[in-house]
Amino acid sequence: MRQILLTLTAVLAVWPAGATEPPPASLTVKPVLCIVDERTPSCDLNFMIVWQALQLGYYCVSNDHDAEPLRCWIDRQSGETTDRRELTESIEFRLEEGEAAILVASATVDVLRKDSDDRRRRRRTRYVWDVL
Amino acid sequence: MRNLTVAVSLLALPLLAEGTESPWRLGMALGYGERGNPLAASEDIPVVVDLDIAWFGERFFFDNGDLGFTFHDGRRVTASLVARARSDQVFFGRANFEFVSISLTGDALDEEEPLQLPDRDFAGELGFELLADGRWGFLQVNAFHDVTGIHEGYEVSLDYGVGLRSGRWYFEPGFRVAYKSANLNDYYWGVRMDESSPVLPAYEAGAGVNTGVRLRASYHFSRRWALRMAVDYEGLNDEIAESPVVDSDNVIGYFAGLSIDF
Repeated sequence: MRQILLTLTAVLAVWPAGATEPPPASLTVKPVLCIVDERTPSCDLNFMIVWQALQLGYYCVSNDHDAEPLRCWIDRQSGETTDRRELTESIEFRLEEGEAAILVASATVDVLRKDSDDRRRRRRTRYVWDVL
Repeated sequence: MRNLTVAVSLLALPLLAEGTESPWRLGMALGYGERGNPLAASEDIPVVVDLDIAWFGERFFFDNGDLGFTFHDGRRVTASLVARARSDQVFFGRANFEFVSISLTGDALDEEEPLQLPDRDFAGELGFELLADGRWGFLQVNAFHDVTGIHEGYEVSLDYGVGLRSGRWYFEPGFRVAYKSANLNDYYWGVRMDESSPVLPAYEAGAGVNTGVRLRASYHFSRRWALRMAVDYEGLNDEIAESPVVDSDNVIGYFAGLSIDF
Protein backbone atom coordinates (compact mmCIF):
# COMPACT_ATOMS: atom_id res chain seq x y z
CA MET A 1 0.00 0.00 0.00
CA ARG A 2 2.84 2.31 0.94
CA GLN A 3 4.52 1.56 -2.37
CA ILE A 4 1.34 2.39 -4.30
CA LEU A 5 1.04 5.71 -2.47
CA LEU A 6 4.69 6.53 -3.15
CA THR A 7 4.26 5.71 -6.84
CA LEU A 8 1.09 7.82 -7.04
CA THR A 9 2.88 10.73 -5.33
CA ALA A 10 5.79 10.44 -7.78
CA VAL A 11 3.47 10.39 -10.79
CA LEU A 12 1.59 13.45 -9.52
CA ALA A 13 4.87 15.24 -8.85
CA VAL A 14 6.06 14.89 -12.43
CA TRP A 15 2.61 15.46 -13.98
CA PRO A 16 2.61 18.85 -15.77
CA ALA A 17 0.85 21.35 -13.58
CA GLY A 18 -1.12 22.84 -16.46
CA ALA A 19 -2.25 19.51 -17.85
CA THR A 20 -5.33 19.32 -15.63
CA GLU A 21 -6.14 23.02 -15.66
CA PRO A 22 -8.60 24.15 -18.26
CA PRO A 23 -7.38 26.92 -20.56
CA PRO A 24 -8.21 30.43 -19.28
CA ALA A 25 -10.34 31.15 -22.31
CA SER A 26 -11.32 29.89 -25.73
CA LEU A 27 -11.75 31.74 -28.99
CA THR A 28 -13.45 30.18 -32.00
CA VAL A 29 -13.46 31.79 -35.44
CA LYS A 30 -15.27 30.42 -38.49
CA PRO A 31 -14.41 30.00 -41.29
CA VAL A 32 -10.71 29.33 -40.75
CA LEU A 33 -9.55 28.88 -44.34
CA CYS A 34 -9.40 31.19 -47.34
CA ILE A 35 -8.10 29.94 -50.69
CA VAL A 36 -6.81 32.42 -53.28
CA ASP A 37 -5.40 32.13 -56.80
CA GLU A 38 -4.97 34.26 -59.93
CA ARG A 39 -8.68 34.34 -60.68
CA THR A 40 -9.74 34.75 -57.04
CA PRO A 41 -7.08 37.00 -55.50
CA SER A 42 -8.95 37.57 -52.23
CA CYS A 43 -11.68 36.08 -50.03
CA ASP A 44 -14.67 38.13 -48.92
CA LEU A 45 -15.52 36.40 -45.64
CA ASN A 46 -18.01 37.00 -42.86
CA PHE A 47 -16.35 35.69 -39.69
CA MET A 48 -18.31 34.40 -36.73
CA ILE A 49 -16.25 34.98 -33.58
CA VAL A 50 -17.22 33.30 -30.30
CA TRP A 51 -15.29 33.46 -27.02
CA GLN A 52 -15.66 32.02 -23.55
CA ALA A 53 -13.62 32.82 -20.41
CA LEU A 54 -13.44 31.21 -16.97
CA GLN A 55 -14.23 34.38 -15.07
CA LEU A 56 -16.02 37.68 -15.51
CA GLY A 57 -13.85 40.51 -16.75
CA TYR A 58 -13.02 43.08 -19.35
CA TYR A 59 -12.24 41.37 -22.65
CA CYS A 60 -11.52 42.59 -26.17
CA VAL A 61 -11.30 40.78 -29.50
CA SER A 62 -8.66 42.23 -31.81
CA ASN A 63 -6.60 41.09 -34.77
CA ASP A 64 -3.11 41.60 -36.16
CA HIS A 65 -4.35 43.68 -39.11
CA ASP A 66 -6.08 46.51 -37.23
CA ALA A 67 -4.70 48.75 -34.51
CA GLU A 68 -8.01 49.07 -32.69
CA PRO A 69 -9.91 46.16 -31.09
CA LEU A 70 -12.83 44.83 -33.03
CA ARG A 71 -15.11 44.83 -30.01
CA CYS A 72 -14.83 44.93 -26.17
CA TRP A 73 -17.05 43.56 -23.39
CA ILE A 74 -17.20 44.77 -19.75
CA ASP A 75 -17.98 42.34 -16.92
CA ARG A 76 -18.64 39.49 -19.29
CA GLN A 77 -17.56 35.85 -19.34
CA SER A 78 -18.52 35.11 -22.94
CA GLY A 79 -19.45 36.88 -26.12
CA GLU A 80 -19.81 36.68 -29.85
CA THR A 81 -19.48 39.06 -32.75
CA THR A 82 -19.08 39.06 -36.49
CA ASP A 83 -16.49 40.65 -38.73
CA ARG A 84 -16.73 40.95 -42.48
CA ARG A 85 -13.49 41.56 -44.33
CA GLU A 86 -11.61 40.86 -47.54
CA LEU A 87 -8.54 38.73 -46.93
CA THR A 88 -5.40 38.41 -49.03
CA GLU A 89 -3.13 37.17 -46.24
CA SER A 90 -3.54 35.19 -43.01
CA ILE A 91 -5.03 36.93 -40.00
CA GLU A 92 -4.83 36.16 -36.30
CA PHE A 93 -7.79 36.98 -34.05
CA ARG A 94 -6.96 37.50 -30.37
CA LEU A 95 -8.92 37.55 -27.16
CA GLU A 96 -7.25 39.96 -24.73
CA GLU A 97 -8.05 40.51 -21.06
CA GLY A 98 -8.02 43.77 -19.09
CA GLU A 99 -6.59 47.20 -19.77
CA ALA A 100 -3.15 45.60 -20.17
CA ALA A 101 -4.52 43.55 -23.09
CA ILE A 102 -3.13 40.23 -21.89
CA LEU A 103 -3.48 37.61 -24.61
CA VAL A 104 -5.65 34.75 -23.32
CA ALA A 105 -6.66 33.00 -26.55
CA SER A 106 -6.09 33.27 -30.27
CA ALA A 107 -7.26 31.78 -33.55
CA THR A 108 -5.66 32.04 -36.99
CA VAL A 109 -7.44 32.18 -40.33
CA ASP A 110 -5.15 30.67 -42.96
CA VAL A 111 -4.85 32.04 -46.48
CA LEU A 112 -3.85 29.23 -48.79
CA ARG A 113 -2.27 30.46 -52.03
CA LYS A 114 -2.92 28.11 -54.94
CA ASP A 115 -1.42 30.37 -57.56
CA SER A 116 2.19 30.19 -58.63
CA ASP A 117 4.59 32.23 -60.73
CA ASP A 118 5.89 28.94 -62.11
CA ARG A 119 3.45 27.76 -64.77
CA ARG A 120 5.26 24.39 -64.98
CA ARG A 121 3.45 23.47 -61.76
CA ARG A 122 0.26 23.25 -63.81
CA ARG A 123 1.64 20.97 -66.50
CA ARG A 124 -0.08 17.64 -66.99
CA THR A 125 1.76 14.36 -67.20
CA ARG A 126 0.28 11.60 -69.33
CA TYR A 127 0.95 8.35 -67.55
CA VAL A 128 -1.69 5.64 -67.51
CA TRP A 129 -1.83 5.68 -63.70
CA ASP A 130 -2.25 9.47 -63.49
CA VAL A 131 -5.95 9.98 -62.97
CA LEU A 132 -5.89 13.10 -60.82
CA MET B 1 16.21 3.58 -40.39
CA ARG B 2 18.19 5.48 -43.00
CA ASN B 3 15.21 5.25 -45.36
CA LEU B 4 12.95 6.64 -42.64
CA THR B 5 15.32 9.54 -42.05
CA VAL B 6 15.44 10.32 -45.75
CA ALA B 7 11.65 10.13 -45.99
CA VAL B 8 11.17 12.46 -43.00
CA SER B 9 13.74 14.88 -44.42
CA LEU B 10 11.96 14.90 -47.78
CA LEU B 11 8.61 15.58 -46.14
CA ALA B 12 10.11 18.46 -44.20
CA LEU B 13 11.54 20.20 -47.25
CA PRO B 14 8.35 21.95 -48.38
CA LEU B 15 7.72 23.03 -44.77
CA LEU B 16 11.12 24.68 -44.54
CA ALA B 17 10.13 26.89 -47.38
CA GLU B 18 6.92 28.19 -45.72
CA GLY B 19 6.24 31.69 -46.89
CA THR B 20 8.28 31.31 -50.05
CA GLU B 21 7.44 28.80 -52.73
CA SER B 22 9.23 25.53 -52.17
CA PRO B 23 10.79 23.89 -55.25
CA TRP B 24 9.18 20.67 -54.05
CA ARG B 25 5.61 19.60 -54.56
CA LEU B 26 4.84 16.45 -52.62
CA GLY B 27 1.42 15.00 -52.13
CA MET B 28 -0.49 11.79 -51.86
CA ALA B 29 -4.11 10.84 -52.48
CA LEU B 30 -5.68 7.69 -51.07
CA GLY B 31 -8.97 6.52 -52.44
CA TYR B 32 -10.27 4.43 -55.27
CA GLY B 33 -10.41 4.78 -59.00
CA GLU B 34 -9.84 2.92 -62.21
CA ARG B 35 -8.33 3.49 -65.60
CA GLY B 36 -10.29 1.58 -68.21
CA ASN B 37 -8.36 -0.90 -70.33
CA PRO B 38 -9.34 -0.88 -74.02
CA LEU B 39 -7.55 -4.19 -74.65
CA ALA B 40 -9.72 -7.24 -75.28
CA ALA B 41 -9.78 -9.84 -72.48
CA SER B 42 -8.00 -7.47 -70.12
CA GLU B 43 -8.72 -6.00 -66.73
CA ASP B 44 -9.12 -2.35 -65.89
CA ILE B 45 -6.30 -0.76 -63.93
CA PRO B 46 -7.15 0.00 -60.30
CA VAL B 47 -5.82 3.23 -58.82
CA VAL B 48 -5.71 3.28 -55.03
CA VAL B 49 -2.83 5.65 -54.39
CA ASP B 50 -1.94 8.69 -56.47
CA LEU B 51 1.47 10.08 -55.57
CA ASP B 52 2.55 13.57 -56.55
CA ILE B 53 6.34 13.97 -56.49
CA ALA B 54 7.74 16.99 -58.30
CA TRP B 55 10.69 19.35 -58.04
CA PHE B 56 10.99 22.58 -60.00
CA GLY B 57 14.35 24.28 -60.25
CA GLU B 58 15.11 27.40 -62.24
CA ARG B 59 15.99 25.39 -65.36
CA PHE B 60 15.62 21.71 -64.56
CA PHE B 61 12.55 19.97 -63.22
CA PHE B 62 11.22 16.56 -62.33
CA ASP B 63 7.48 16.07 -62.48
CA ASN B 64 6.15 12.62 -61.63
CA GLY B 65 8.45 10.81 -64.02
CA ASP B 66 9.00 13.58 -66.56
CA LEU B 67 12.46 15.18 -66.65
CA GLY B 68 12.65 18.66 -68.11
CA PHE B 69 14.99 21.46 -69.03
CA THR B 70 13.37 24.88 -69.38
CA PHE B 71 15.12 27.02 -71.98
CA HIS B 72 12.61 29.87 -72.10
CA ASP B 73 10.40 31.26 -69.35
CA GLY B 74 8.71 34.41 -70.57
CA ARG B 75 5.71 36.46 -69.60
CA ARG B 76 3.47 34.59 -72.02
CA VAL B 77 5.09 31.21 -72.64
CA THR B 78 7.35 28.67 -70.93
CA ALA B 79 9.24 26.32 -73.26
CA SER B 80 11.02 23.15 -72.16
CA LEU B 81 12.76 20.10 -73.48
CA VAL B 82 11.18 17.09 -71.79
CA ALA B 83 12.08 13.41 -71.51
CA ARG B 84 9.36 10.98 -70.51
CA ALA B 85 8.31 7.36 -70.66
CA ARG B 86 5.31 6.16 -72.67
CA SER B 87 3.29 4.03 -70.33
CA ASP B 88 0.80 2.38 -72.73
CA GLN B 89 2.66 -0.86 -71.98
CA VAL B 90 0.74 -0.98 -68.70
CA PHE B 91 -2.45 -1.90 -70.59
CA PHE B 92 -0.73 -5.02 -71.95
CA GLY B 93 0.41 -6.14 -68.53
CA ARG B 94 -3.18 -6.81 -67.47
CA ALA B 95 -4.21 -9.17 -70.23
CA ASN B 96 -5.83 -12.47 -69.23
CA PHE B 97 -4.64 -15.62 -70.96
CA GLU B 98 -7.72 -17.58 -72.01
CA PHE B 99 -9.10 -20.07 -74.53
CA VAL B 100 -11.77 -18.74 -76.85
CA SER B 101 -14.09 -20.24 -79.48
CA ILE B 102 -14.69 -16.95 -81.31
CA SER B 103 -11.91 -14.88 -82.83
CA LEU B 104 -11.45 -11.25 -81.79
CA THR B 105 -13.03 -10.23 -85.09
CA GLY B 106 -16.18 -12.23 -84.26
CA ASP B 107 -15.63 -15.30 -86.48
CA ALA B 108 -16.53 -18.73 -85.07
CA LEU B 109 -13.51 -21.04 -84.65
CA ASP B 110 -13.54 -24.80 -85.34
CA GLU B 111 -12.09 -25.47 -81.90
CA GLU B 112 -11.05 -23.46 -78.87
CA GLU B 113 -7.80 -21.60 -79.41
CA PRO B 114 -5.55 -19.84 -76.93
CA LEU B 115 -5.82 -16.05 -76.96
CA GLN B 116 -2.39 -14.61 -76.37
CA LEU B 117 -2.20 -10.83 -76.63
CA PRO B 118 1.14 -9.46 -77.82
CA ASP B 119 3.73 -8.00 -75.45
CA ARG B 120 4.65 -4.35 -75.69
CA ASP B 121 7.38 -2.30 -74.02
CA PHE B 122 7.75 1.07 -72.34
CA ALA B 123 9.30 3.63 -74.70
CA GLY B 124 11.50 6.61 -73.85
CA GLU B 125 10.45 9.82 -75.58
CA LEU B 126 12.00 13.22 -75.97
CA GLY B 127 10.17 16.34 -77.01
CA PHE B 128 9.25 19.97 -76.67
CA GLU B 129 6.65 21.44 -74.43
CA LEU B 130 5.03 24.87 -74.53
CA LEU B 131 3.01 26.18 -71.61
CA ALA B 132 0.89 29.31 -71.61
CA ASP B 133 -1.70 30.63 -69.19
CA GLY B 134 -3.83 33.62 -68.37
CA ARG B 135 -7.29 34.46 -67.17
CA TRP B 136 -8.55 32.42 -70.12
CA GLY B 137 -7.09 29.21 -68.67
CA PHE B 138 -3.95 27.21 -69.36
CA LEU B 139 -2.65 25.57 -72.48
CA GLN B 140 -0.05 22.84 -72.91
CA VAL B 141 1.31 21.85 -76.31
CA ASN B 142 3.62 18.84 -76.59
CA ALA B 143 5.52 17.15 -79.40
CA PHE B 144 7.31 13.93 -78.46
CA HIS B 145 9.33 11.44 -80.49
CA ASP B 146 10.55 8.01 -79.48
CA VAL B 147 14.31 7.99 -78.81
CA THR B 148 14.65 4.39 -77.68
CA GLY B 149 13.82 2.66 -80.97
CA ILE B 150 10.73 1.00 -79.48
CA HIS B 151 7.92 2.43 -81.58
CA GLU B 152 9.87 5.01 -83.63
CA GLY B 153 6.78 7.21 -83.82
CA TYR B 154 5.70 10.57 -82.49
CA GLU B 155 2.78 12.35 -80.86
CA VAL B 156 1.67 15.98 -80.99
CA SER B 157 -0.90 17.00 -78.39
CA LEU B 158 -2.75 20.04 -77.14
CA ASP B 159 -4.27 20.21 -73.68
CA TYR B 160 -6.48 23.05 -72.44
CA GLY B 161 -7.94 23.55 -68.98
CA VAL B 162 -9.46 26.28 -66.89
CA GLY B 163 -9.58 26.51 -63.10
CA LEU B 164 -12.76 27.73 -61.41
CA ARG B 165 -12.77 28.38 -57.67
CA SER B 166 -15.72 28.90 -55.37
CA GLY B 167 -14.72 29.10 -51.72
CA ARG B 168 -13.15 25.77 -50.80
CA TRP B 169 -14.29 24.13 -54.01
CA TYR B 170 -12.14 23.99 -57.11
CA PHE B 171 -13.27 22.73 -60.51
CA GLU B 172 -11.07 22.21 -63.53
CA PRO B 173 -12.70 21.18 -66.78
CA GLY B 174 -10.39 20.51 -69.69
CA PHE B 175 -10.02 18.86 -73.05
CA ARG B 176 -7.22 17.27 -75.03
CA VAL B 177 -6.47 16.47 -78.66
CA ALA B 178 -3.55 14.20 -79.56
CA TYR B 179 -2.27 13.21 -83.00
CA LYS B 180 -0.52 9.84 -82.91
CA SER B 181 1.68 8.82 -85.80
CA ALA B 182 1.25 5.54 -87.68
CA ASN B 183 4.42 4.06 -86.16
CA LEU B 184 3.24 4.85 -82.64
CA ASN B 185 -0.27 3.48 -83.18
CA ASP B 186 0.97 0.42 -85.01
CA TYR B 187 3.56 -0.57 -82.42
CA TYR B 188 1.07 -0.64 -79.55
CA TRP B 189 -2.19 -1.52 -81.30
CA GLY B 190 -1.15 -3.36 -84.45
CA VAL B 191 -0.71 -7.15 -84.72
CA ARG B 192 2.39 -8.35 -86.57
CA MET B 193 2.25 -11.42 -88.79
CA ASP B 194 4.35 -13.42 -86.35
CA GLU B 195 1.90 -12.52 -83.56
CA SER B 196 -1.22 -13.40 -85.51
CA SER B 197 -3.28 -16.55 -84.99
CA PRO B 198 -6.76 -17.80 -85.91
CA VAL B 199 -7.97 -15.84 -82.87
CA LEU B 200 -5.93 -12.73 -83.51
CA PRO B 201 -5.63 -11.67 -87.16
CA ALA B 202 -2.77 -9.46 -88.30
CA TYR B 203 -3.56 -5.73 -88.26
CA GLU B 204 -1.69 -2.60 -89.25
CA ALA B 205 -2.75 0.61 -87.55
CA GLY B 206 -2.35 4.00 -89.20
CA ALA B 207 -2.14 7.48 -87.75
CA GLY B 208 -5.07 9.01 -85.90
CA VAL B 209 -6.32 11.65 -83.49
CA ASN B 210 -7.49 10.89 -79.96
CA THR B 211 -9.76 13.40 -78.23
CA GLY B 212 -10.53 13.63 -74.55
CA VAL B 213 -12.38 15.61 -71.89
CA ARG B 214 -11.88 15.64 -68.14
CA LEU B 215 -13.18 17.21 -64.98
CA ARG B 216 -11.23 17.54 -61.79
CA ALA B 217 -12.79 18.77 -58.57
CA SER B 218 -11.45 19.26 -55.08
CA TYR B 219 -12.67 20.49 -51.72
CA HIS B 220 -10.13 21.73 -49.18
CA PHE B 221 -10.81 20.82 -45.56
CA SER B 222 -7.65 22.56 -44.41
CA ARG B 223 -4.33 23.82 -45.74
CA ARG B 224 -3.18 20.27 -46.37
CA TRP B 225 -6.17 17.96 -46.52
CA ALA B 226 -8.59 17.85 -49.40
CA LEU B 227 -11.16 15.64 -51.06
CA ARG B 228 -10.23 15.10 -54.70
CA MET B 229 -12.24 13.70 -57.55
CA ALA B 230 -11.47 13.28 -61.21
CA VAL B 231 -13.11 11.79 -64.25
CA ASP B 232 -11.40 11.53 -67.60
CA TYR B 233 -12.76 10.31 -70.96
CA GLU B 234 -10.50 9.65 -73.94
CA GLY B 235 -11.97 8.73 -77.31
CA LEU B 236 -9.63 6.45 -79.25
CA ASN B 237 -9.01 7.13 -82.91
CA ASP B 238 -10.49 4.65 -85.42
CA GLU B 239 -7.10 3.13 -86.20
CA ILE B 240 -6.82 2.02 -82.56
CA ALA B 241 -10.51 1.26 -82.01
CA GLU B 242 -10.63 -1.08 -85.04
CA SER B 243 -7.64 -3.11 -83.93
CA PRO B 244 -8.53 -6.74 -83.13
CA VAL B 245 -6.76 -6.43 -79.77
CA VAL B 246 -9.07 -3.57 -78.74
CA ASP B 247 -12.68 -4.01 -77.66
CA SER B 248 -13.54 -0.44 -76.71
CA ASP B 249 -13.34 2.86 -78.54
CA ASN B 250 -12.65 4.85 -75.37
CA VAL B 251 -10.74 4.84 -72.12
CA ILE B 252 -12.48 6.13 -69.02
CA GLY B 253 -10.59 6.97 -65.84
CA TYR B 254 -11.95 8.09 -62.51
CA PHE B 255 -10.73 8.59 -58.96
CA ALA B 256 -12.08 9.89 -55.66
CA GLY B 257 -10.12 10.10 -52.47
CA LEU B 258 -8.54 12.08 -49.68
CA SER B 259 -5.31 13.87 -50.39
CA ILE B 260 -2.59 15.46 -48.31
CA ASP B 261 -0.08 18.04 -49.52
CA PHE B 262 3.22 17.89 -47.64
